[in-house]
Amino acid sequence: MSLLEISGLEVAYGVQRVIRGISLTIKEGEFAALVGPNGHGKTTVLRAISGLARARAGEIRLDGKALTRARPDRIVAAGIIHVPQGDLLFPGMSVLDNLRMGAYLPEAARDEARRLDEVFTLLPKLRDRQTQTASTLSGGERRMVGIGRGLMAGGRILMLDEPSLGLAPIVIDQIYELVQALAKSGRTILVVEENAIRIADMADRMHLLDNGAIAWSGTGQEFLSSPEIFATYLGG
Amino acid sequence: MDVATQILISGLTLGAVYAVSTIGLALIFGALNMLNMAQGGLLALGGYIAMWAMQAMGWPAPLAALAAMAAGSLAGGLIFVAAARPMLGGEGFETRIFIATIGIGLMLESVILKLFGPQPQAQSLKLEGGIMLGQVNLPWQNALIFGTALLMLVLVAGMLNRSRLGRAIRATSMNRDAAQLMGVPIRRIYLTILMLSGALAALSGIMISSMSGLLPNMGADPMLKAFIICVVAGLGNVPGAALTAFAIGMLEAVIQYIFGVQYAFAILLCLVIAVLIWRPQGVFGQKEVVRL
Ligand SMILES: Nc1ncnc2c1ncn2[C@@H]1O[C@H](COP(=O)(O)OP(=O)(O)OP(=O)(O)O)[C@@H](O)[C@H]1O
Ligand SMILES: [Mg+2]
Repeated sequence: MSLLEISGLEVAYGVQRVIRGISLTIKEGEFAALVGPNGHGKTTVLRAISGLARARAGEIRLDGKALTRARPDRIVAAGIIHVPQGDLLFPGMSVLDNLRMGAYLPEAARDEARRLDEVFTLLPKLRDRQTQTASTLSGGERRMVGIGRGLMAGGRILMLDEPSLGLAPIVIDQIYELVQALAKSGRTILVVEENAIRIADMADRMHLLDNGAIAWSGTGQEFLSSPEIFATYLGG
Repeated sequence: MDVATQILISGLTLGAVYAVSTIGLALIFGALNMLNMAQGGLLALGGYIAMWAMQAMGWPAPLAALAAMAAGSLAGGLIFVAAARPMLGGEGFETRIFIATIGIGLMLESVILKLFGPQPQAQSLKLEGGIMLGQVNLPWQNALIFGTALLMLVLVAGMLNRSRLGRAIRATSMNRDAAQLMGVPIRRIYLTILMLSGALAALSGIMISSMSGLLPNMGADPMLKAFIICVVAGLGNVPGAALTAFAIGMLEAVIQYIFGVQYAFAILLCLVIAVLIWRPQGVFGQKEVVRL
């Protein structure tokens, strides 16, 4: 069963076409990865899916329901959760208020207490930091709040844009342990990652973005056993 | 002693008037990055509607105040729908909306001029009399202004800090994209902010006209002061704007007493320039804080 279906998606900033007709599907419960070098349009794809960037052509469907050019709040309500690159926390709010903002929509808000407990169980460090202002957190803590805030929203698919960005190797490992645990628990996940090798043995399916187009799709294992793909698209 | 009390009374009254109109401007700037230059027109609108409701319609004062606030809120909403919304997200939004709201403000003033004429009029919504505090007279009107302003500030602070709408407003001001990703319908939030700001401006307009009378362009000076307060506080900082409004009100009262009314504005401006040289980002400047 494919949960998220993207076909012929095009996005342009002014006259510059950044995403040039990409199509991909993500199945229910799948751990998918979108990889590619800096500036090739990974973030733009996620922003188009969540409605922050305008799709110039193409279609985006969740569970068969068209969401193309819908307003971002409708897209969240439909179940697409986007944890953005660089976290974009609410800097003047406490950790707790940031997390509660994740459950802003009525359906999530009704379930807020339970979800908060779940997030604190997954990310115990946040329980101790509830009252701290988000702008004073360390990079790793910020990332946890960003992901926790996304989890508060629930949803059908969780999109994470470069969850490893700017973190120390040991913290990256912790974050990816969490992501893998989420995947194991049955969540549908789409991770954007610059480092293809890092994600290849975790992901069920990899999509390689090259200059705004999908150059290759396959399983993580296929990717690891085809060094020529890496050499061609990711600069060896 | 009596002099100090006198200054305190007029300073707090001025501060209250400034605070009510300034927090609206600060909310708008914080969330939309928009300078609402129609503020002066909204102040006049509020003053005239209240007077008209009492004079022509014979409504009681509280109802007249509500009518003025409703009209201000409607006008604020129209500014969003007709001018801000079509420009949102486009190139140079800040400049375009600045010019557009100047035009809307002038239009509002022209309509008022047409309907009510150019001659100064008295505000009917005004309490007469007062109470003697020692040797000093505290006019009931000043007490009413101060009490109403305080009530409004408490209500807005409560809304911002305790309600779901307030959290959405603060989130939108801190990070527009992130707010949208949480499911906040930011356009509806913008509309709400403009309507709220319009109602507050109308209320402030009643207060101003109760002290200095009604004129179609009565909003020009207060609007300038409100912007100065916003800049001194740090643009978009709502609690800072409220505090700065009271500080400027007190300062103005002191300057008026020492140097006379005609110098107050000029000296105030010099002080403001000095403050901005010292802290260009504003006294409370730290762009992203919206907490009252
Ligand atoms: N708001 C914008 N306006 C104009 N151009 C943009 C905008 N956002 C992104 N771009 C351009 O679109 C291209 C793709 O950017 P995008 O952020 O999607 O890449 P990315 O793959 O996520 O890169 P990174 O790995 O560095 O995060 C880049 O050339 C970028 O400069
Ligand atoms: Mg990116």
